[in-house]
Amino acid sequence: MSVNTSVEETVKKIAQRILRKKDIAFAPTTTFKDFGADSLDIVQILVAVEDTFDIELDDEQLRNINDTAGFIAYIESKIAEKNKK
Amino acid sequence: MALNGKVALITGGSRGIGRAITLKLASEGADVIINFFRKRGTAESTAETARSQGVTAHIIKANLAEPEKIDRMFTEIENMFGRLDILVNNAASGVARTAMELDFDAWDWTMNVNARAALLCTQRAARLMRNGGVIVNISSLGSRLVMPIYTAVGVSKAALEALTRYLAIELAPLGIRVNAIAAGPVETEALKLYTTDPGIPQQMVTSTPAGRMVQPEDVTNVVAFLCSDAASMIRGQIIIVDGGASLTSLGYTPPGDKGAQSAST
Repeated sequence: MSVNTSVEETVKKIAQRILRKKDIAFAPTTTFKDFGADSLDIVQILVAVEDTFDIELDDEQLRNINDTAGFIAYIESKIAEKNKK
Repeated sequence: MALNGKVALITGGSRGIGRAITLKLASEGADVIINFFRKRGTAESTAETARSQGVTAHIIKANLAEPEKIDRMFTEIENMFGRLDILVNNAASGVARTAMELDFDAWDWTMNVNARAALLCTQRAARLMRNGGVIVNISSLGSRLVMPIYTAVGVSKAALEALTRYLAIELAPLGIRVNAIAAGPVETEALKLYTTDPGIPQQMVTSTPAGRMVQPEDVTNVVAFLCSDAASMIRGQIIIVDGGASLTSLGYTPPGDKGAQSAST
């Protein structure tokens, strides 16, 4: 992944690929369900995010995240945590 | 121990029945390779428990829905171990929906993880089984019995069972034995995904002649047997482990509970 590519852009591309939708735009309170994602889509998005950023997302913490903005912030925190190691 | 010095790969081997299979094979002396999907901590914990039995345990993360991840996993196995003796195709996933609610994504996902991955893993594993080997596919009774919201998984397991028979014939000349186990509902966390009614486990017990639900060790005992030389003339079979539940008709209640036995390893 290019260092210039923001986490948000990368997640958006992952969601576009898995949901087969080009018109995905994240706003502060959007959720993946707003784009028609079902539980399988969400699992596939999680797996793709983990593979792309080489991080592991915690299901317990994910349960407390309500929107895409929170999801992206969580990914950024996991990347920062990984980079500290 | 029966499997001393053998190298075994258990797909989805970090939790649930997969974990129990991993630990059973380790207890029989096999070095174990644990494939996992997402939770590294869980896989590490299973590997640690396996190591406490004096065997080597290695974990590999791979989403089996992706053929390139399967390839990468086997390249790692080849580099680390140089061979494979046992493959347990246990990893399974599914979408709990009725047939009319299934979209093609859900269908593809379930078929890819439960059936296609078993084929791809077998193709790669067979090349590493230079002195013969054993393949055990973990199926379920949903391959032949209709269960609520189990369509995709049931169909994928039927494919897995048919694949078991074809592979058993094709791989026999290579000294590779292929069989499958079709278990009734096993009391694990995964069962909760398909049962919203808390009364269902009790109904299952009532309609099972053995008088209890299938436990993970009921399955692992059969896996260990199929991996042993004692099973060398069993080929391409689907061994049903369900306490007799599939023999009964709906609403059947076994007389008394004389058949009740506890699982033992």
